[in-house]
Amino acid sequence: MHVSMNELKAALRRCFEAANYYVGNYEDAANMILWLEKHGLNGLKELENTLPYIKDDKNKAMSTVVYEDSTSAIIDSHGRSALNCIASAVDLAHAKALECGIATISVHNCHNRKFILKALTDCGRRGISVVAYWRNGSNIVTEYTAAIKAGARYPSFSQAITHLESNDQDKQALTIICSSRVDLDSSLQNSGDHQTRFHMSAEEIARIKEKTIDNGIEIDTGLWEEINQIGAAVLVENSEESRQGAGAN
Amino acid sequence: MTTSAAIKSSLRGSNALPLRPIDQVMDLERLGAMHQSRLSFMRILVRHVMRERWQIVMSTMSLDNEGYGTVIYEIQTPHDLFSFVIFSDYLSPDERNDRVIASKWDLTMALVGGKVSQAYLEMLRKNVPKQEAGRVDSRVFVLSRANRSARNFDYVVDQLAAGGQPDIDKIAKVGYLYRTTAVYGSGKLGMADWEKVSTRWPDFARPFSAEMFACFMLRNFSLFQAEHIAKMRSPATFNPMQADIKRYFGIGNSTGLGMAPYLMNHPMLINQWVEMRELALARVRQLGLYNEDAKEKLNRLIYRVQHHMSETHTEDEWQSQNNVIVLKDLALLSQRLESKLDNWNSLILWSEETCSLQGQELLVSLLLELHPELVDSLESHHGSDEFLDLDPVMPVQTLKQVIENRYAWALKIDFSESGSRDIFWYRSEEKMEPRLGQAATEKGKDKQMALGVGYAVRKCYDQLCDYIKIFPNHSTARFMVTKPKLRGIVRRIQSMNRCVYGDIQANLLDKNVLPMHLLRAKLAFFGVSKFDPRSKLWVRNTMFQGAPLLEDIGGSFNDDWFMPLAPKKGGNV
Repeated sequence: MHVSMNELKAALRRCFEAANYYVGNYEDAANMILWLEKHGLNGLKELENTLPYIKDDKNKAMSTVVYEDSTSAIIDSHGRSALNCIASAVDLAHAKALECGIATISVHNCHNRKFILKALTDCGRRGISVVAYWRNGSNIVTEYTAAIKAGARYPSFSQAITHLESNDQDKQALTIICSSRVDLDSSLQNSGDHQTRFHMSAEEIARIKEKTIDNGIEIDTGLWEEINQIGAAVLVENSEESRQGAGAN
Repeated sequence: MTTSAAIKSSLRGSNALPLRPIDQVMDLERLGAMHQSRLSFMRILVRHVMRERWQIVMSTMSLDNEGYGTVIYEIQTPHDLFSFVIFSDYLSPDERNDRVIASKWDLTMALVGGKVSQAYLEMLRKNVPKQEAGRVDSRVFVLSRANRSARNFDYVVDQLAAGGQPDIDKIAKVGYLYRTTAVYGSGKLGMADWEKVSTRWPDFARPFSAEMFACFMLRNFSLFQAEHIAKMRSPATFNPMQADIKRYFGIGNSTGLGMAPYLMNHPMLINQWVEMRELALARVRQLGLYNEDAKEKLNRLIYRVQHHMSETHTEDEWQSQNNVIVLKDLALLSQRLESKLDNWNSLILWSEETCSLQGQELLVSLLLELHPELVDSLESHHGSDEFLDLDPVMPVQTLKQVIENRYAWALKIDFSESGSRDIFWYRSEEKMEPRLGQAATEKGKDKQMALGVGYAVRKCYDQLCDYIKIFPNHSTARFMVTKPKLRGIVRRIQSMNRCVYGDIQANLLDKNVLPMHLLRAKLAFFGVSKFDPRSKLWVRNTMFQGAPLLEDIGGSFNDDWFMPLAPKKGGNV
């Protein structure tokens, strides 16, 4: 079915609010999903993978900084979804880069890392260049990188399925390099390890966005209903007393 | 043309104009005392329609003798062609309900990009009358509905059919034939997102201009429909309505709580609107030439506003009292103008010592009216990107100072005191209608919307102070990793600190909060008049009363249609 970006964002906000995401975070989560979908990077597909676990993070520990110096930090996200923790990691990289010129943050135990692209875009818009790299896959490794230049509106994104066998660390780690002095760029090397390789330039991502602005978003009806069904938990049951609270005579 | 750079330098820095202080301007009661002005969105829209001579023609008219059926207007603007599609359906009196929870209406409408084909019209016919229960696509960018004024519509049709004219005194009491009960834009129900409207359709690239245009068109259709029914009923005796009486009809509007969350959830946009109004005032105070001619113009405006207000009938006691007080303020203002005055600034300072808040804000609107050359160029600067960005590098000590400087109003509130958190705001499962609940007695507090900005700031400040004791040299980014639950409010505090005016200063959780002020502030930016509250959560008002008619487009236009006076009785009335 067809929905607008605004409708999708509002429904996602309710959905994550209902999943006990806190104020500021449910907006971030909604924006991260919408950003991917709006720019042709399958935000709704990523969401589908995330939905079965959406309420699990409520009982997990908050991210902790396990190591830190002036140019780097290691953050343990304790198995949380990037939807509710990666923005803070990018912010920390941003702050360190402004102080030292360049900074590296490693994030461990973080799921759904593709959602970082919205946070990278926010950095680029505000004059900071960022690169992110992560690996995924239950049997063989899929690797990803995204980068944005200082002042740019759109990042580039690369993805490749490799022949390499994955290990547990690959699945949940992510590296962020951030600079206020150097324009960073990234693409996956043309390696013999790759089975397939996929790259989207910043220009291509910008073009897809224009199409989405014109036409809105197509979403599977079942997924739309599921999002709204979860989000319905933030709505309050109707009653006569409640109707008085709307102020009508 | 005023550039963004010129505006920026007028607001901040060595070349800034003296603006009214933040605590004065952002006080909720003052915001709720505002009146329409030259910068109100309806006024801006009508200026464009008239000066650019938009060509608006009825391309399809298939109303039956009772006025039911379909009408399509085609609108040629300087940049594009649009269609305004209206479905008029029978509605029994017991089904007529202005609340958002209604499911049937007398009229339903859609504003659409381009021409409407027969197939597209069929799609609209299947969906537009259903409103929230229907779906449209991204060619549509406004959906609205309206109900007849039971008091006026039949009466006006009867009069015209019998060859007479409506009684002016009756119209002065209820100055419209229809009330619109919702005007949706910005991507609701599958429509085009604001991002599309603002980048693809420059004629509607100002906030709410498309929504205001839909109401403008509804008002014109309502007059056409009343005449059509009267003519069909009695062709031999029918008399068209006199143009000056037609112009005295506006369109009614009922606004409920839905606008209140909007204001709180779009703080940067609201700040932008306030900045433009305050900049306009600062320009007038500093640069506006005061002389005998200008004084005479102001006197004429005061005279008109006095008469307009004395012709305004409100059923609400509180609003009626307010109107009486404003009339007294206007009398004092007239007296003040009889003695020597140095400049407009001294008149503003005088009003702040003498007049009610409503009187003071009315004077602001009137002074803007005198200086279109200083005011109108700000009309294209009401938009805002609305990025609530975290400033990760800000030291936590600075963040604390920002809160103490910009949110002193929130820190002053004792949230442990009884009454300070008695109210909660929530969405009902009934069409997600925003409602207010009593925390002590009603269910749903755990599902409340995050509108208690003052309380959130207080909680953030307390936790920040504790954090600073341990980590005095940390950055905001580091604070956020440790306290992610505060991310939303910290981001808001920092972003609003970058704005001149910032957040509305009110505790929306307080038992005495008056949401009416929020509704009225937004409606004043829209440009409505004749506020008539139905409760503290619900207000009726009138849009476009006095505005030019479609048939006036192309003729002379002096942009002076606001606060109209009742036409003189005469002719066959």
